Amino acid sequence: MTRQIELSNVQKYYGAYHALRSISLDIDEGEFVALVGPSGCGKSTLLRTIAGLEGISSGDLHIAGERVNDRAPRERDLAMVFQSYALYPHMTVRRNLTYSLRLQRRSRAEQAKAVEEIARITGLEGLLDRYPRELSGGQRQRVAMGRAIIREPKAFLFDEPLSNLDAALRVHMRSEVRQLHNRLGATSVYVTHDQIEAMTMADKVVVMRTGVIEQVGAPLDLYDRPANRFVAGFIGSPAMNFVPGIVQDGGTVALDLPGRPVLRFNGHRPAGEPVTVGLRPEHLELGDGPLTLPVGFVERTGSTSYVLTATDPELMISTPARFPDGRAEVTLSIDPANVHLFSDDTGAALLH
Amino acid sequence: MLRFRNTFTDGVGFDTVLVMLALGYLVVFSAYPLVYNIIMSFQEVDLFSLASFDRPFVGLDNYRDVLGRPEAWTIFLNTVKFVGISVAAQLTIGFGLAMFFQLDFPGNSWLRGLFLAGWIMPALVVGAVWSWILAGDFGVLNHALLSLGLTSERIFWLSDPDMALYSVIIANIWLGVPFNMILLSVGLAGIPEDIYEAAEMDGATRVQRFFTITLPMMRAQLGAVISLGTIFTLQQFDLFAALTQGGPSNASNVFQYWSWQLSFQYYEIGVGSVISVLMILFVILVAAIYVRSTRAEHVA
Ligand SMILES: Nc1ncnc2c1ncn2[C@@H]1O[C@H](COP(=O)(O)OP(=O)(O)O)[C@@H](O)[C@H]1O
Ligand SMILES: [Mg+2]
Repeated sequence: MTRQIELSNVQKYYGAYHALRSISLDIDEGEFVALVGPSGCGKSTLLRTIAGLEGISSGDLHIAGERVNDRAPRERDLAMVFQSYALYPHMTVRRNLTYSLRLQRRSRAEQAKAVEEIARITGLEGLLDRYPRELSGGQRQRVAMGRAIIREPKAFLFDEPLSNLDAALRVHMRSEVRQLHNRLGATSVYVTHDQIEAMTMADKVVVMRTGVIEQVGAPLDLYDRPANRFVAGFIGSPAMNFVPGIVQDGGTVALDLPGRPVLRFNGHRPAGEPVTVGLRPEHLELGDGPLTLPVGFVERTGSTSYVLTATDPELMISTPARFPDGRAEVTLSIDPANVHLFSDDTGAALLH
Repeated sequence: MLRFRNTFTDGVGFDTVLVMLALGYLVVFSAYPLVYNIIMSFQEVDLFSLASFDRPFVGLDNYRDVLGRPEAWTIFLNTVKFVGISVAAQLTIGFGLAMFFQLDFPGNSWLRGLFLAGWIMPALVVGAVWSWILAGDFGVLNHALLSLGLTSERIFWLSDPDMALYSVIIANIWLGVPFNMILLSVGLAGIPEDIYEAAEMDGATRVQRFFTITLPMMRAQLGAVISLGTIFTLQQFDLFAALTQGGPSNASNVFQYWSWQLSFQYYEIGVGSVISVLMILFVILVAAIYVRSTRAEHVA
């Protein structure tokens, strides 16, 4: 596979504010990469840096092997889909779609053919002569996508393109965008603050926090082997439980919970080390086990029951079983492979 | 009585009063003089018949008279030049400044404030300032040009027949630029930044973005500025009074000033009315274009 986008040691300052800190990232041709992280962590800044809408303070950016640091956006041959869609309000859908082709002075026949194909792919047939103000949110979103793909660019950049849609449409468009990516064999960089979007759509997820890349990996790698406490807490829903604990002899850890329960884990850590233990709600199994905790609160959605324990810190347990009413205590077990340990000092994962 | 008070405070009574007030104002101060003016343009009016309504109708005699005068054509051309050049230059300079002030630089708002000076000053004061700048013998402009070595002798800006009209035009452009700049700034600020970014990603150069995004999205504002500018320029009277009085020998005269001269200096009131009627017709046409362009804005 060839590298399509390569960032090496990119720094970005807004005045004194250090928005991107030593970003290094390789994106292969045909790959779907999601940039995910909490609001304000620099995802959009990174995307706009790749696009050329923001300059970089130092470091190198290569696209298709060429250094493009000093190239204008239009010389980079990338297409972007904006969160606001940024459709041209004074142009019909057809003219929105053909804008880039008209700038390239392509022939009318060529434009018409391209529009027809894009309209078919994006389901915009019959809407071509409308103005953006005459379209629904979902339709505008499709026009924005169509305007990007009509150009056949080197890569697509998406900045939270689905966040203005209602929940049902968002889930639907998720798979549609991904299918479109597969069909075009395109390279896509997709910014989102929604980890579910990142996990379900991407080949590779980049987790960011305050201008730093915390971890890069395949979605399930991030879930199974988070590099640190931040990634562990950010990936997965509901979020991982964190409990203070002390490592004991023989690969076990004592939790700072009522009764000081002891859990086994896979791996080796020195006894006496203070750690943070990470336990995913869906990995805590009801039934016989070392943990017996008082029940605080139960939520049921029909498919899943969420049990919150009356402890400090409280634990969340999610289970497909119907949790009965009126139970005062819950007994839990967990597979040692699913016990995560994080350093109290650095937050780094200690077991892998 | 109570019922009346209720309809007045809660019902349609109050609305009716408001509408009547506005309508009454229009009738007394706009419609009546307008109609009176039109009637006078078909009558023989002199100083003695000015006060009575009972004046002889002369059909189109006044129209034939005034349009047949030798100076009519010169003054017409002057008016066209005055309006055309003023509006075009005000628009271009105002648009340029508006785009300039869209840029983010230190001192931006302070400098922008300075440009509004021309707007808040009465035109007569502006006229006095410009007559001082343009004066032939000890004017500021001549002094500057001479000391920079750009000209070898004084130019008589206000009394040279080739210069007088353009001198008034320059003053009028200066007067109209702030208005254009403000209206166009508002329009420019209303174009979202991300649309420019989308166009940039789509491959548009700076010039292409201006012609494919800025200009078409400013259509309503441009229409408004052009038609309002035309109307304001046709109303420009003070500058002529302050600078040239239409002279020398009508070289800088325009319809609005001529109409006033005919009516109130030579007391040919019927003939003077003809000019104002013709100007009113033209202004109504321009106003119609303006209304259309603002309507397009509501749709967009
Ligand atoms: N033009 C700018 N000037 C100064 N600070 C900015 C600018 N754009 C973004 N920032 C700051 O950079 C940080 C990252 O912003 P952004 O990339 O938009 O975050 P997000 O991950 O939510 O997309 C934020 O703290 C924001 O305040
Ligand atoms: Mg963002």
